[in-house]
Amino acid sequence: MRGVHTLLIIYAILLIVGLTVPGMWQPVAFLMFYVALGQAFNIFLGLTGYVDFGYVAFLALGSYGMAIAMDSLYQTGLGAAILPIGLLLAALMSIMLSLAVGAVALRLRGAYFAIATIGVNEGFRYLIEGARLWGGSEGIIITGAMRKIFGREMANFISTMVADVLVFGIGLLAALTTYVIIHKRMGYALMAIREDEDAARVMGINVTKYKIMAFITSAFFAGLIGASAWTLKMTYVFPSDVFLITYTVEAIVIVMLGGAGTLLGPVVGGITYGLLKYYLSVILPGFQLLILAPLLVAIVVAFPEGIVGYLKERVRGTRFEGYIL
Amino acid sequence: MGFWEQLASNLVFGILLGSVYGLATMGLSLIFGVLRIVNVGHGAFLMIGAYAAFWLFTLFGLSPIASIFMALAVGLALGFITFYSVIKRLIGAPELSTLLATFGIGLFIEELAKLVWGPDYRGYSWDTPYISLGISAISFSKIYALLASIVIAFLLFMWFKKTKLGMAVRAVVEDKEGAMVCGIDVTRIYALSFALGIALTVASGVLITLFVPVGINPYMGGEYTLKAFVIAVLGGLTSPWGAFYAGFIFGLLENGSYTLLGLIPDVEPFSLTRFIAFTTLLIILLIKPTGLLGGEEM
Repeated sequence: MRGVHTLLIIYAILLIVGLTVPGMWQPVAFLMFYVALGQAFNIFLGLTGYVDFGYVAFLALGSYGMAIAMDSLYQTGLGAAILPIGLLLAALMSIMLSLAVGAVALRLRGAYFAIATIGVNEGFRYLIEGARLWGGSEGIIITGAMRKIFGREMANFISTMVADVLVFGIGLLAALTTYVIIHKRMGYALMAIREDEDAARVMGINVTKYKIMAFITSAFFAGLIGASAWTLKMTYVFPSDVFLITYTVEAIVIVMLGGAGTLLGPVVGGITYGLLKYYLSVILPGFQLLILAPLLVAIVVAFPEGIVGYLKERVRGTRFEGYIL
Repeated sequence: MGFWEQLASNLVFGILLGSVYGLATMGLSLIFGVLRIVNVGHGAFLMIGAYAAFWLFTLFGLSPIASIFMALAVGLALGFITFYSVIKRLIGAPELSTLLATFGIGLFIEELAKLVWGPDYRGYSWDTPYISLGISAISFSKIYALLASIVIAFLLFMWFKKTKLGMAVRAVVEDKEGAMVCGIDVTRIYALSFALGIALTVASGVLITLFVPVGINPYMGGEYTLKAFVIAVLGGLTSPWGAFYAGFIFGLLENGSYTLLGLIPDVEPFSLTRFIAFTTLLIILLIKPTGLLGGEEM
């Protein structure tokens, strides 16, 4: 349990700083987005050792789910109930996609899986733009719908506050889910798969089942993050914005930087990355990827266990063991 | 122009473009076949070739066919640098590492290109005579591209079958330990194969510019990475020759379906062909992950 304590303490510090220091809420929300993104992605990349190059598609579908709910229900008079309906639809849509992709691609081994996922993101974006689905390349704008549902004041409050609180909560929930998975049968099964998939299969572990479970869980949280951090906050969805490969890269960098498969990794990685990105965008606007890409390569080559993975090795056998998980 | 004429001329175009697709994918398959590394940054190297063709043409008036030799040299150099700086350290590492590393390398090259050359679309036009095929006029430049692809693929084939070094590469693919015992420096073979794969990719980037008149920009490669994966999987992923044939199949499928999709009202056929490429990939991976043309190795 001590690992969870460390996690909760970091979250509490973030929350307190954001709420009490004036002007700090938005910077903290900025960091929280990356922490949550890392937590969600870690459930898949960290626990299975498989990399999904189309991960942002789940966030994108989630943000579409929320936008569709708002856009099609605002005249029904359901009022504030549309918000949870939107979250539900967001979760449902990203789960559906993860089921469709996972059922096909997760039968494949590492490299083949990665190849299959490269197309998911672009393929889906081209489907939306090509078949003029959900507004096609013009996207969905829900600024007006949100004002009609919640009123101007409340709509603003949702964009500037509620959306961030939601992201905060989703990140925490994803972290706790990771903790639970690690200590359950599923976590041990995934660890076995990560170490040696063939051996795990021979031992009678249903390899595909556990991989798909991790994939769906990860996609579920990604959908919720997309719905809150993008749709509710920006009040619009454009395919060219939400299918941006940059977010997938960011998620990978955060998880690898913090330490794949660790509980604290995404928190440490997300905060480190968020701060790095903030200062980089001041120094070198528009060229964050120019720094990020070699950083990713450097981590993979020289530091594959990440910050938390490294610390975990260092404290093994000392009384701090257990605080770092 | 009637529908059938359009379909026929698109299919001819598909064969011409398919040859370049095939060449582009040979590099990917060669690297996977020998090193078991999926080069996720594939498209970035292709983009370098496209810029090489553009600059050599606009600055020195060099024809793209002559640029191929420069591109091969640039590609070899890039390949050796990438191999000895990053890839060598990842031999035997988990698959995740090589996937992420090549992904990062590709991104880095793209961002560097954006920094140096700017994000704008560029293009050049190489005036060659047209040949009339009755149904449509085809520029000679595209026929040169077809011929160049076939010649390069054939030379590579002969190199693998006839030269000592080519045989050493095949030996490493066949049995790494056995090759080592016979005194083959496996790391050097890896380096050579990687560099050769990158060189082929860069060279195909030169030829791609003959088909996309104003499509040269730092991010043009992403599209070809996806297509190369579809083609590589079609061709069995480990076989450069399978990849070359599969390139033609993909070119025909892509351009044929473009014509057919154009018949459906209210859709954008251009975006939908890409969606179809991706769906094809998933379907092939599901029903026959070893490739439609069989898992024949080099």
